[in-house]
Amino acid sequence: MALTLALPSKGRLKEAALERLAGAGLEIEQPGDDRRYRAVVKGRDDIEVALLSAGEIARELGQGKVDLGITGEDLLQESLADMDDRIEIAARLGFGRADVVVAVPACWLDVDTMGDLDDVAADFRQRHGRRLRIATKYWRLTQRFFSAQHGIQVYRIVESLGATEGAPAAGSADVVVDITTTGSTLTANHLKVLSDGVILRSEACLAVSRKGRSTADDVAIRELAERLNANS
Amino acid sequence: MTARYPAFADDILAHFAARGAELVEVPVIQPADPFLDMAGEELRRRIFLTESETGETLCLRPEFTIPVCLDHIANRSGTPRRYAYLGEVFRQRREGGAEFFQAGIEDLGTADTAQADARSIADAHALIAALLPGRPLGVTLGDQRVFEAVLAALGLPRGWQKRLARAFGSPELLKSALADLANPPRRPPLPDDVVELVAAGDKQMLASHVSERMEEAGISAHAGRQPEDIAARLIEKSELASVRLAPDALAALQAFLSIRVPLRGAGDALRAFAGETGISLGAALEAFGARARVLAEHGLPEDVAYYDAGFGRPLDYYTGLVFEVSVSGSDRTLVGGGRYDRLLTLLGSGAPIPGVGFSVWLDRVAALREGA
Repeated sequence: MALTLALPSKGRLKEAALERLAGAGLEIEQPGDDRRYRAVVKGRDDIEVALLSAGEIARELGQGKVDLGITGEDLLQESLADMDDRIEIAARLGFGRADVVVAVPACWLDVDTMGDLDDVAADFRQRHGRRLRIATKYWRLTQRFFSAQHGIQVYRIVESLGATEGAPAAGSADVVVDITTTGSTLTANHLKVLSDGVILRSEACLAVSRKGRSTADDVAIRELAERLNANS
Repeated sequence: MTARYPAFADDILAHFAARGAELVEVPVIQPADPFLDMAGEELRRRIFLTESETGETLCLRPEFTIPVCLDHIANRSGTPRRYAYLGEVFRQRREGGAEFFQAGIEDLGTADTAQADARSIADAHALIAALLPGRPLGVTLGDQRVFEAVLAALGLPRGWQKRLARAFGSPELLKSALADLANPPRRPPLPDDVVELVAAGDKQMLASHVSERMEEAGISAHAGRQPEDIAARLIEKSELASVRLAPDALAALQAFLSIRVPLRGAGDALRAFAGETGISLGAALEAFGARARVLAEHGLPEDVAYYDAGFGRPLDYYTGLVFEVSVSGSDRTLVGGGRYDRLLTLLGSGAPIPGVGFSVWLDRVAALREGA
């Protein structure tokens, strides 16, 4: 039996993942041709490497199509309804750090907390004839945070596929749930993060799909997770 | 009735006819927006959504109340009307099938709320008693109006009253709201140029300051929150910044929420509570008493009903009575019902139309009949 390890196919996440794996003694030999999406681990024919987009890695892990994967926790939480049943986060890797946050227009001087936003959302329909709108590409995380954690029921999610931070100025939403590393893009767009508005502090993770596998494979996975953890 | 329907569907229809409710049919495929607008985004993962060719978001009917109300508004029907329904609803559930049957009665536009409330409870109870002969049943009542009257009588600031009323029915939310009011979280400091305006309580200057910031950010002052709203709320908030929920008010709320008594003793229990707390519950208590008296006239056995002061539903269109029917000793709800006086206006009715209704989980009733 071979294990399948899914790695990001491009960008900083890919470079950081390869570097970390190399540090843990796993050297990935990439295909010469950029269009090929398979790679191998030097000296380890028990591991197959698939190069996928970060979002695809989360989905494939959830479906058990790959054994292991390195991707952002935000994508794992967002794409998998029952994440803890489907995957286990075996190692946190300390790179690709970013926060998923609730941000409102900075000119909403009266709104600092989710409690404030709850007040505003409750009155919104009566005052403006529609529900408060939240632009985001993280509808699952948003819904869980607003509805389950803060009991805010009355709002609408507007799916945003890019430049979420521009939605309030564009008039397509009132507030946003977005991912940010330094907050500078939000500030530049005259938005502020609520004091209790951090939904998730995300970073790149080694995730393991929960599915039956041989003891030998299990041991190999534990060993890899340990080495990546020790290396962080 | 076809084989798809529960075997006892005809009994239900006969029951509805005998009680003078007219049967209404609504389409299985419904626009999704009214459901998401009313019940919130949480519903999204529990319903079956699809999109029409023209991009309209549609769903399979997840319940009947909203479609029946929309149908009533669209047909400009006069009131009062009592609509009965029996049909399939579709929800994504972790347990049980995704398609199951519900039946119920929605009473729209009856001006005498005590009568309408009592009839709805009695109809629901009589239906379950007929479907599950010999089973001891329990009815639990709650009333948001009484809770709101307590909040008002305690003299809490309006913003607090609204916040607590929103959390009514969810013990966790209520607990965290009360904790916040008793011990408010620290606020980040306001920008320097704003502090003075707030301290002076100058709403107009503050609004124009907010308006400038909005313009700078390219946010339209007409599409959403307006500078005046923001200024007013900021001043209100700063006035309350140093106010804490007093320990005796907190104790009174906790004492109220723990009231759970047989309905026939509920009036006395509420009066005793009001007396001890030194407040008057006024019209809400009268309305509560009137409904309880009428209930007996509608044939509800005296000993089946309980009043649970903390029982409610944290959805903004429920305004007063909520009730459930279950087999005694079981926490499986067979009927859910309540008053939704705000719903028809939210759904676009020009005139306000009061409404009260109930819905029966027929799959649960069927399971009990088979188990019998």
